[in-house]
This record gives sequence, structure tokens and C-alpha cells, in this order.
Amino acid sequence: MSTNVLICDDSNLARKQVFRSLPESLSTDVQLAKNGEEALDILRSQSIDILFLDLTMPVIDGLGVLQALKDENIALAVFVISADVQPEMQNRVMDLGAKAFLRKPVQLDILNENLRTHGFL
Amino acid sequence: MLDTLCINISNRLNTGILILDNDFNIIMWNRFLEVHANKKDNQVTGKSVFTVFPELPQKWFERKLSSVIQLKTQSFCGWEQRHHLFELSHSRPITTDSHFMAQNCTFLPVEVEGEVERICILIEDVTDVCHYQTQLNKALHELALSNRIDGLTQAFNRRHWEECLAKEFSRARRHNHELALVMLDLDQFKLLNDNFGHQGGDKVLVDTAKSINDLLRLGDIFGRYGGEEFAVILPSTDLVGAEEVAERIRQTIAKSTVDYQGRSISVTVSIGVAIIDEQDSRYEDLIRNADLALYRAKAMGRNRVCLAEETLDKKTIVA
Amino acid sequence: MNAFDLTEDQQDCLQELINVAMGQASDQLARYLDTFVYLKVPSIEQVKSEHLIDTLNQDLKETAVVSQGFFGYEGIRGEALLIYQPQDSNRLADLLGYEADELTFDEQIIDLSSILTTTFLNVFASQIDNQMSYSAPRLLSANLGTVSEHLQQQSFNWDLALKVRISYQVTDYSFNCDMVLLIPEQAIINIKTVIDRILEEF
Repeated sequence: MSTNVLICDDSNLARKQVFRSLPESLSTDVQLAKNGEEALDILRSQSIDILFLDLTMPVIDGLGVLQALKDENIALAVFVISADVQPEMQNRVMDLGAKAFLRKPVQLDILNENLRTHGFL
Repeated sequence: MLDTLCINISNRLNTGILILDNDFNIIMWNRFLEVHANKKDNQVTGKSVFTVFPELPQKWFERKLSSVIQLKTQSFCGWEQRHHLFELSHSRPITTDSHFMAQNCTFLPVEVEGEVERICILIEDVTDVCHYQTQLNKALHELALSNRIDGLTQAFNRRHWEECLAKEFSRARRHNHELALVMLDLDQFKLLNDNFGHQGGDKVLVDTAKSINDLLRLGDIFGRYGGEEFAVILPSTDLVGAEEVAERIRQTIAKSTVDYQGRSISVTVSIGVAIIDEQDSRYEDLIRNADLALYRAKAMGRNRVCLAEETLDKKTIVA
Repeated sequence: MNAFDLTEDQQDCLQELINVAMGQASDQLARYLDTFVYLKVPSIEQVKSEHLIDTLNQDLKETAVVSQGFFGYEGIRGEALLIYQPQDSNRLADLLGYEADELTFDEQIIDLSSILTTTFLNVFASQIDNQMSYSAPRLLSANLGTVSEHLQQQSFNWDLALKVRISYQVTDYSFNCDMVLLIPEQAIINIKTVIDRILEEF
């Protein structure tokens, strides 16, 4: 059975970085979204297991996505990957129900470690 | 081998190298500092930098270094902001007037496995740069001054004097202060030039300007308005005060004589006085009023002080 | 195509590198100043040398400008200009943790600029496996005339300015500053090489 993954970031490079960092042992079906609105369209219509979510994005930002997921009771594992790494922002993200906060640029070993912690490996 | 080489070179550098631990104790320094601080190696190693250099501003220094440690980035302190941090002697004690070495200091973090463990301070001698820059600034200052001064009489030239008037005018308007203007013209100067030549006329201008200047207060602004016309701005001065000043100038000049090539020249001045008026919307109005009064003084027979008409009305009403 | 036209992918990559650098620099700054730094996405604009003064003119009347040179491996080098509006800088000493009478206005603004420039460029450099050195920061002037003059003197030396507009908002304090990175043509080519290498890796 494959894991459904959605990568949401306005930067093409950042999406690729996350995509390339996914371990081979994780059998995945990956979709991409360029902003929060695109991501929510997918999340509302399909069953997704893991969302890799950037914070600073046009249209709807990462905090907006987390809030919508909470309001609409959509349950999945959200890993926030952000350039804004201040402790206060990390706290806000975790309060909104994210599983983990990873700093950009995403590191392969740290991503793997988090996937393992949350039972995806 | 390489270590010996590095120490050898660091001791020949014309830059000070000072290495501190995170508690501000001196780990090492190079010969440049040993020589210029005139202290022995064993007097400083292991000691607090504040003990060895008590002249350092301690709080400032600690905050500066904490930014280097925390942000893991270098920091600077240039001579233009602080002439020197460390009281060191320099190599041009005779030809410059600065007692201590002017310095550019760089604070470098030295990281070991991602953590800052040492701070390296580089101290450059910029006494030369400082000396020449100071001289240049002085020259520029003198140049700026000569741009404002009338070469012959040493009074402000017309352009600068008018800039001052514009400033004083708007300041007086803003704060509702008084402001008076005195314009004066040497009587029959053309005749005087014909009799004594232009050099005689110049001597009269120089001496008159000096006499007037001696009568003024610190805040008064004295300028040469035209050929033989002078003007004085009197800030925070009312009509009575301005008239007094004008009258004193007139009497002083009428009483004194100018010596020129063994001959003595008598001169008189005609003076117009105006004060800032609610109707004056621009400083040029003030000049015009004073100028009109000056022409009236001329028409009434010279060697006298006249008040501007508007000003006069007001005086009559008050009286 | 001239030397500094970036493709969409190159532009995206540069923006991401700058966002990450900004994010980490703000984090360091927030810890150091013991406050929260509100972060806006920095806007990046490429400006040809002859147009830079015009773009600055629109924004600025009276300003304080601090300049600091930077240079790293692989021929990546340039000059960073930090441009402030004067009203922003009244309480900088307070923000920096100094006593108000401990340092002059010039020193405050130079100190802050140096921190902003070096923290940002250090992270930027580390992402591309590089390391920066810096010249001493200098206060150019408090008026635009002198800044234009400075830029004109420099203009033979660089061709493209990367205008990175950064707005820092700090709890209890607010100040905006523009960071403008002036980069000579050869260094732009070198940066593009590095960007292409990163893009190839992914």
C-alpha cells in the first residue's frame, strides 16, 4: 500500500528539494501544490496521509491551511517546512496541530528521522 | 613547523592580534601589541582584557563581543566612530597631533565545531588615515567658510546672508518671535571713491565693517548686501532695540575717521530699520520695508536713521 | 540574452535561497535582541546600474546609507548597501542593548547594518557551501546626493544590482530598511553557475 503525499510550497526548488529527500523505502504517490488554496482543494477531495507544508505562500499561507484543516476536521500528518524558524512561529504551528517543524533547507536525515518517529518508515 | 612560521609572521605584522576567550581573558597577543602597549607577554596572558586595558568601555565592549559570540559573525569598530579603543602608542608621535594610535578594530568569532570559543580582535593602525582625513575636513571647512564670507570686509556675503535671513524669518514666524532688520548705506561713496581712489574706498569699507561688527551681539548676523550697502539681522529684537542699535552704529561711524595714506576720511551712513510684520509673508518684504526706510533717510539729508512706514504706524499707535 | 537574465528556475532558486537566509538571519536577530521579528517575504528585484538611482529616488528623500563589501569563494562578491529612513532610527541604541549615551547615532546605524548584512550573507553563503569575508562597514551619508555620487563612482564596477527589500518589524520597534546588493557582472555569472549546480542536484 502506498502513502499519499502532498508537497505544498510556492517555490519549485523547495518542492523538488522535499521530493528528492523522500526515502526510497517509502512507497509514495506524490502530488504538488503551489499555494494553500491548491493544497486545500486536493485535501478536501482526496485522502492524503502526509502534507509537507511551507508557511509563507501567496493566496492562502501555511497557517491558513492548518487552521482550515482544524476547522474542517481533516486529519493527516502535517510536517511544516519553513524558512521562518523563530521559536514563536514554531509554537504557533505546533498549537495548530502540526506533527513537526523542519527548517529550510530540508535535510535528508532529519526528514527521515521525523518520518520514522511518526511511524511512516 | 607551520605553527612556528605562523607565529613568526604574526609577530612581524603591522596589525595587532589579540585573542580572548569567551570570558574576556587574554589567550595571546602578537608583538605589535606587546610593543605598542609596552607591556610584557607574561603580564597579560591569562589576565582579563579589562585589567590589562582599563581604558576600555566595559559595558559597550561586552555587548559588542556578545553579538560576535551569539550571531557568530564579525563586528567592527572604526576610528571615525571611536578614535581608538586601546590606548596604544603609534609611530607618528611627532608629525601628528594625536596622542594615541587611531584604530580600526575587527572582532572575529573563532568557531570550534560550530561553537564560538575564542574571539580574535584585529587592531589596525590608521593614525595616518585619521591625520590626513582630519586635515582634509579642516580644509573643506575653511573652503565652506570662504564660500560664505565677503573677502574684502570679512562680513557674510550676500548669498549666505540672505539664506540666514530666510531661516531666521521662518523661525520667527514659527515661534512668534520678534525679528528686526537694519540696512545701511555709506553716504556719497561715489564721491569718496573719486577723491581717494578705489583703494581709499576699499579701506573705508573695511574699517566701517569692522566698526559695525564690534557693536553687534553674538547672535546678530552681519552681511555685505551690495557695493557700499550693509545689512544686519537682529533676532529676537523689537523696534526700540533695533533703533538703538542703528543709532549707535550711525553715531560711532560719524564720530570716527578712516586713516588712509596719511589723510583722514570722514564718512557717515544712512540707515533704514524694519521689524517683522504680520503682513510680511516673505522675508523679501522685510528687506523691501527696510530698504524703503533707508531711501527715505537718504532723501531727508543722509546721516540719519529712519524706521519703515508700517513699523512707524505701529509705533505711533503704541505711543 | 545578456549575462544577468535569469531563467524562471534560476529566479525561483535565488528567491528560495534568499528567503531561507532571511529566515535564519531573523531568527538569530530575534534571539540576540530578545524579541520577535516579524518577517515579510523579501522582494527581489534586479536593477541595471543606470536605473538604480531612479528606483532609489522614488523611495527616499533623506536617508542614512551604510555600505559594506563582501567577498567569498568562487568569485562571489559585491557591495551591500543598507538604506534607512531617518525616523526609523531614533531608538536603535535601545534595541541593540546599549545605553543611549554609550554610542552615537552613526555608530548605532553602522552596528545594526553590520549585523543585518553579515547574518544574512553568512546564511546565504552556507547554503551554497561558501564563506564570506567582509570589509568594514562605512556610513556613506545622510543625503541622497552623496549616495548617487557614490553609486556613480562605483557604476563602472558593477552592472546589476540585486535590490532585496527587507522590512524588519520588531516587537515595540519598527523599522524598515532596504538592502541593496550591488554585484559586478563576473560575480553574477559565478552566482548563476552555483545556482545551476544546485538545480542540477534536484
